[in-house]
Formats: sequence, C-alpha cells, structure tokens
Amino acid sequence: MRERSSGRVSAQVALPKRRRWLRWGAHWLIVLVVLLFFAMPVVWLLSVSFKPPQEWQAFPPTVIPRGPTLNNYLLLVNPELPKGSASYMLRVTEPVTKSFINSLIIVPIATLISAMVGFLAAYGVSRYRVGGDFMPFFVLTTRMFPPVAFAVPLLVYYQNLRLIDTRLGMIIIYAGFTVAFSLWMMKGFIDAVPRSVEEAAILDGASRWRVLFTITLPLVKGGLAATALFVFILNWTEFLYALIFTSTRSITVPVQLSHYVGAVGRFYGPQAALGVIASIPAVIFGYLIQRHLVTGFSFGLIRK
Amino acid sequence: MEAISEAKTKQGLLFTLGRHLNRESVFKLSLVAPLQLLLWFLLIIPFIIVIYLSFVKWQPVFGSWTEAPWVWFENFQKLFTEIRFLEALGRTLAIVVIAVTLEFIFALGLALLFTRNFFGKRLFTSVILYPMMLPWVVVGFIFYLLFLDHGLVNSILTTIFGATATISWLRHSVPAMSAIILGDVWQWTPFMFLLLYSGLSALPSEPKEAAMTLGATPWQIFRYVTFPSLKPVILIAIIIRALEAFKIFDLVFIMTGGGPGTATETLSIYIYQIGFRFGQLSYAAALAIVILITVSIVTRLAVRPLFEKEG
Amino acid sequence: MGNAEGKDRGILLELCGLQKEFDGFVAVEGLDLTIVEGEFICFLGPSGCGKTTTLRMIAGLETPTSGEIYLRGRKINDLIPQQRGVGLVFQNYALFWHMTVYDNLAFGLRIRGVSREEMDKYVKDVAERFELESLLNIKARRLDLSAMQRVAVARTLLTDPYLLLFDEPLNNIRPGLREILRAELKRLQKELNRTMIYVTHDQEEAMTLGDRILVMNAGKVEQLDTPRQIYLHPRTLFVADFIGRPSMNFMETEYEMKGEKISFKWNGFSFNIEKKDLDVEEKHLKGKKLIVGIRPEHILLADEAEKGGISAEPLSAMVDLIQPLGAKKIIDLKSGDHMVKMVSSSEYSFKRGDRISVIFDPRRIHLFDPKDGRVIL
Repeated sequence: MRERSSGRVSAQVALPKRRRWLRWGAHWLIVLVVLLFFAMPVVWLLSVSFKPPQEWQAFPPTVIPRGPTLNNYLLLVNPELPKGSASYMLRVTEPVTKSFINSLIIVPIATLISAMVGFLAAYGVSRYRVGGDFMPFFVLTTRMFPPVAFAVPLLVYYQNLRLIDTRLGMIIIYAGFTVAFSLWMMKGFIDAVPRSVEEAAILDGASRWRVLFTITLPLVKGGLAATALFVFILNWTEFLYALIFTSTRSITVPVQLSHYVGAVGRFYGPQAALGVIASIPAVIFGYLIQRHLVTGFSFGLIRK
Repeated sequence: MEAISEAKTKQGLLFTLGRHLNRESVFKLSLVAPLQLLLWFLLIIPFIIVIYLSFVKWQPVFGSWTEAPWVWFENFQKLFTEIRFLEALGRTLAIVVIAVTLEFIFALGLALLFTRNFFGKRLFTSVILYPMMLPWVVVGFIFYLLFLDHGLVNSILTTIFGATATISWLRHSVPAMSAIILGDVWQWTPFMFLLLYSGLSALPSEPKEAAMTLGATPWQIFRYVTFPSLKPVILIAIIIRALEAFKIFDLVFIMTGGGPGTATETLSIYIYQIGFRFGQLSYAAALAIVILITVSIVTRLAVRPLFEKEG
Repeated sequence: MGNAEGKDRGILLELCGLQKEFDGFVAVEGLDLTIVEGEFICFLGPSGCGKTTTLRMIAGLETPTSGEIYLRGRKINDLIPQQRGVGLVFQNYALFWHMTVYDNLAFGLRIRGVSREEMDKYVKDVAERFELESLLNIKARRLDLSAMQRVAVARTLLTDPYLLLFDEPLNNIRPGLREILRAELKRLQKELNRTMIYVTHDQEEAMTLGDRILVMNAGKVEQLDTPRQIYLHPRTLFVADFIGRPSMNFMETEYEMKGEKISFKWNGFSFNIEKKDLDVEEKHLKGKKLIVGIRPEHILLADEAEKGGISAEPLSAMVDLIQPLGAKKIIDLKSGDHMVKMVSSSEYSFKRGDRISVIFDPRRIHLFDPKDGRVIL
C-alpha cells in the first residue's frame, strides 16, 4: 500500500466566509442578468403596445410609456379609430377579427385530430409494434425536412383539390404535420403504462377497444393533455404553411401579423398590440404545460 | 313482431361486426388507419409529386402540371451552379453552427446553475421557458423592433458609447445576420436548457458523491463524471436543435424578408422565393429533393454514434 | 470499550451528540460514538433507522443539524468530503460506468496529479490484490457484481483514507456469494488493519463481521457493544428481538414473589423460577408485569438439561409444528393459547401432538420492563 503521507489532498479548513458570500453573490448576479435578458424583449413589446405614436421611436427610450394608451389595441379591431390623428393617416389594413376567428377554429380542431390520431397510432406502435421498429425513426424523419420542401408539391395538389385558402385545407395540414410529434410524445406516455393492467382487463373479457378507451386513455390523460397543449402551440404559431396556403378567407393570426409588419408605413404600436394578443393563447397554454414539461421530454426523448 | 326481429338481426350483425372489429389484426389496422391516411395524403403523395416535378420544367403560368415537358436532370444541374443557392446554403449553415453553439453553451451553463436549489427557482424557470412558447413571428417582430435604426438596441448603444454608436442593423448583411442569430438564441436557448436540464437531473448522484469522497474538485467532477454521462443527451439536443435551426424561416422573414436583397436569405426563404414568388415550382422541387437527401444523410451520420453507444 | 486486544490504539473517530433532522423529521438523534484505529464497527438496524444518514454525515455528504465529528482529534464538521480522508463504498457501487476499471481505480490518483509511472504501479498493485488484473481494460458497466464490489473497494483504498465506510455493499448480491465476499472483506480488514464502518440491516452480517456493533432504531442508539455481549445481554427489547434467528420469544407475564421462587403467569401458562438463579435485585422489579425473553436455542429438553447439570422447573408443552433445518429443528411449542419457538439439535424424534417437557435455561432468561423496553436482567 502507498505511504500514508504522500499525495493526500491537503486537509484545509473549509472556504472562509467571505469567499462563500462572493460565490453566492456571483450566482445571483448571473441569475439576474439571465432574467433580464429573457424578460426584456417581451417587456419591450408590451411597452410599445401601450405607447402612443409619439413615443414609438422616442429617444431616450422608456419602458413605461409616458402617456399610456389602449388605442393600439382598439385599432386592431376597428381601423377607423381614432379620428383626426395625423399619424393615423396610414391606417392598418384590415381588422384582425377574421384572422383570430380563423385561428380559433383551425388550430383547436387540428390539434384535437392530431392528438387523437397520434394517440391511436402510438398505442398501436407501443403495444402491437405496428410498423415494426422502423416506425419511430420514420416518424422522426418527417420532422427533419424543411417545410418548404413539402409546400411545393402540396400547393400543386391543393390547387387541384381546391383546398387553397380554406379552413379545411389548413386543418388537414396542421393535423398532418404535427401528428408525428403527437405520436412520439404519446408513445412515451403509453409505454409507461404497464401492460399488466390492460391484460387483466382483457382476461376479464373486455374488448380491445374498451381497454383502450376505458383503461389506457384515463391513465395517460396527463400525457395527452401535455401533447395537445404542445401541438396547440405549434399550430397556433405556425407561419410558413399559413403564409403559402391562406389568402383572404382563411388567414391566420401569424400571417396577419406579417401583413402588418410588411405594410407600408410605420405603426409599431398596433403591430406590437397584435403581437401581444397573438401570444396570449400560447403563453397561457405554455404555463399549463410547465409542469408536464420535464417529464414529457424525458419520456419522449431519452426513450429514443 | 317484425320490428323486434329486425332489431335482433341488427344486433346480431353488430355483434359479428364487433367480433370482427375486435380481432387483433383489424384492431391494429384501425389504430393506425387515420395516421396512415394523413401521412399518405400529406407526405407520401406530395413526395411523389415532388420527385415528378423535379424532373420536369414547369411553372404555374405554363398551364397544367401534368403536361409539363420532361427535362430530366436539368433542374439539378442548374441548382449546383446557382450562386444564389450556394450562398443561401452557406448562410443557413453559418446560422445553424453559430446559433446552436451559442445556445448549447448558454443552456449548459444555465442547466448547471440550476442544479443547486435557490430561492425563486420556480419563478425563474417559468420566465426562462416563455421565449419558446411565443409565436415565432412575434419573436421576429420583437427583434425587428429592437434592431431598428432607432430601436432599443441602438438607443442603448448610444447611451453607453455616445451618439455615433448606432449600427444599421437590418440594412447590412453581417449585422442583420447577427441580429437574426441573436433572435434565434433568445428563443431557443430555453429549449436546449430544458433538454440538458432533464438529462442532468436524471443522472444518478452516487457517482458524483463517490468522486467527492475520492477528492475531486467540482470542475473535476464535471469533467470526468457528469459530462461523459451527459454526452448522449447533449448529442440528441444538438441534433434536434440543429435540424430545426436549419429550417429557419419565420424569424428571417419577419425581420428582414431575406433582405436587403438577398443578404440574409436562408435556404427556406430562398426556396420560398423561387417557388412561390417567382413560380419556378419545378426548380424548387429539385431544390427540395436535394435538401431532403442531404439532411437525411447528415442526420444518419450524426445519429450513428448514439446507436453505437447503446450497443 | 476499545482496548480489548490490549494493544494501545488511538481514537480515530468521535461523534458527539450528532443529530440530523430533515424538515422536522428526526433521522438521527443524539448519537455518541468513539472508534479506535483498526476497528471494524457495524451500524445495524432496520431501514430508515438513520444508519446510512450517520454514515453520510461522517463522509461529509450530509451536514449534521447539531453535534460534532472529530477525525483523529480534529473537528471535521466544516470540511467538504474531498478534504476528509474518508472512503465510501456505495450500495450500488457508484463506479464511473463509462470508464474502464483502470480509470476507475486510478481516479483518485489522477486528480491528485500523481505521475503516470507511480499511478500505474499503485493501480496494478491493488488490482493484483483484488484479482482485477485481467479486467483492467474493461468498462465498468460490463462487470459482474462481485467484480464491481472489488473495484469499488479497491478504488477507495487507493486514496489511502483514514476511515473506510461501507453502505450495505452486499445488499444486491445473491446469498451464496454474499457469505464468501463477506469473509473476504473481513480478512482484508484484518490484514490491512484499516478502520471500517459497515452499515447493514442484516443482523447475521453484523454479528459475523463486527468487532463492535452499533444497533440503531428510529434514529436512536439502542446498544453499542461486541456481538457476544449483544447476543447474551441485549439492553432493550428491540435489540433482543432484532438479533438472532429465529428471534427471541417474548412473554408478557404477571409475576409474583413466592418465597424462594418467582412465579410467572402467562395467559394460563405459568412457570416458576428459583429466585437465586435469576440474579436480579428486587428493587428493580416494579409493577406487576414483566416481559420475559428467552431465545429459542435456550429452551432445552428437560432430560438433556438434567444431564447438562442445569436444573429448573420443567414445563409441559405440546409440539405444534416441526420445521427441520438440516442439523437443527425449529419446534413450535404450544401451551394454552400461545406459541413458543424452540431450536433443538437433538436426535429425539417427536412428532406433532406429542407432549414434551422443556425448561427455560435460567442463566439465559431476560427480563424487560414493559413500559420502556429496557432490560432488567
């Protein structure tokens, strides 16, 4: 055995108090900086959305508007307001209500379809190995490709089917392109349910469908909810396909925003207001997911 | 009388039907049927169409796509010599590499920071996770606002460095790319953080404790124990994020539209322009195919170490 | 305490009033302990009794709520684990799974910046002793359990700690192999003359391995003694019950002094013991109830006892169940409504239903105060 004295880590006294404070302080500094970094842009958005036109490009910039106003928000709904203000000569192009209605129809329906289809298929893959071992990988590959790549033929296709600029068309697209994700997430959750519970039910005489809906489904309710919320956010914020496949009838919120940004003239206030409102559903759902977030990811991903 | 017997036959029919539906093979089929439907409709058939389109020369103005002339590999040849394409590719790769690297470093740092418990951790976590949830277009807009000539960023710069410190962010290639990368980093660092943090939390604590009793400093523990165990998670996180970053569109579209000119044109924007603004759909199809193939190959190669490890 | 061998050995570890609370739950309460160099101490107790927590506090992985820890005379409460010179072998070995055996062993040396040649020499040295040479280049996760355990122990030895701690290291090993490894460990300890603390919930293990055993329950120390003392003179009901398999028989009796005898009455079943045999002072006996304890192996067949010179009043009981265990038999005796277990290695063949005559060896009777479980005799 080695000599006792050689090479031992010197048994010094623990870090003196001062250094401990330093470490703690540095820790908190970093935390603060990071917090600022992530919060600031959103705060700015909110700030601009409540500012009157004079303050949009004011220097020095302020976070809290000097003359806060709700006009920007009102303008979104009714482009006529307010009258008589010089900077409103270049008005916003159209009210946003239509895009909101569209999004509120398209997204939930597509999400529901995606979640259910994903759930069923995930069950098949998890319990019956449908599609073999190739399936999960295949499903992953659909996420790999740039959406534009599929948009090209889809356009041609949709034109023939006359699905362009329709809500149905968008629903199909959104459901289809998120179903892979739904499947991936749900598979993880279903895997976590022990087969023995289902087998016991089958032995008791329940049909497979009954087992699926009365036993498995309740047990993965949490996972289903998390998946649905995720998919909702994905669909709500989707832009590219909406851009290509909608025009005036089925325009969605993100596209509406891009119109505002691209329009002639500068009316950052209403644009910011629209941005804020467009974010609200996503933020709410995001908050709801937070608890599921870590588990969902560990299931879905580490289980690759 | 007849109604009852009719009902009975119906019941009988349903019963046999039910029995058939319950059989395993039918069950399996019906589980995946809706999925298959969607996939075929939205993925497989378009895929075939894409391949077809890439071999013809067609634009919507020409008329029906089924009657387009076959030109075989002409589109592909054009593609490889088209400077605009190569530039777009280069830019996209640059964005991916820089953004993902930055995101990884920040996310890892954050994840490590979070291993200790500290006051307000939950609130802090919530704040950090929000950027991911925002619609990408909104993020694009926010950063557009921030980087305007008279936007917040320039205001801050002038406050610190004096009146001449403004940069025309969105008017020149490099600053615009930087702004875009910053936007991407802002939005997606939380995502990486989430993945890395999950991975980190899932690690068993005993090897770390063992290392402690053996005399390792925190840095040594990270280097020899934590990091190696984290490698698979890191790899997955980077691959996923890189794949997503490669497709970047929304952010760029809103912030610069690809401009000025083509200064910030990424691949997706390039294809969009070619296919949907200029209408050269068959050329766009060829582009799409080339990208599809390249991405598949690269992903396959990148993922291989993962599967090897598990063996 | 301590100097049983007559050698003059220094005190290595001292725990004074050690206490650990988690959010109001008291895991360890007022623990005092002194260990001398070269000792093999076992912490024994059921799960959750605080033995692992105590171990971790000694290692520095948990901070005591109050109390002090002294290692070689120095207070180490404020030292981080790296600085304590204490080695810990974890329950699931906690090897560095992605590293080879060589790297695992060399870890402690590598981080201390020991030179390549020296490191190589020491590692090979230890590997040889633990029969790990052929495995040096194998990744830790591929090893079998016994190899893992050896690597875990060898790894700690290479950092030359003052004290070695073991957290139930043989838990996951199948019974046959467990005894073999146990013996190896004991042999190793004596050879190297290292001080070791070994945590386990298996009383057999503790009894065979320890020079002294610290029995713990619900955070408190029940008894600290040599195995022999713990076996013969358990201080509390808990210790008496926990040690020994099959466990001690307990009878809640009412007693009465009747001249030279003490009469114990237990649910319709009574027996008398000579007062003089019981070496107990009257003043210690309070109240009307006592718990009488006797180990199954100390219940003897009346005839055999007679031959061995032990005399006491025999009791008659009925054989209810015989469980043969090779050389021994466990016999359930029934008297009235109650059962008593007895262990006998005699050749007598009786069968179920037989009435036999037994005596309780008076030298081995334990009396416990029913109120606090403390022993009186």
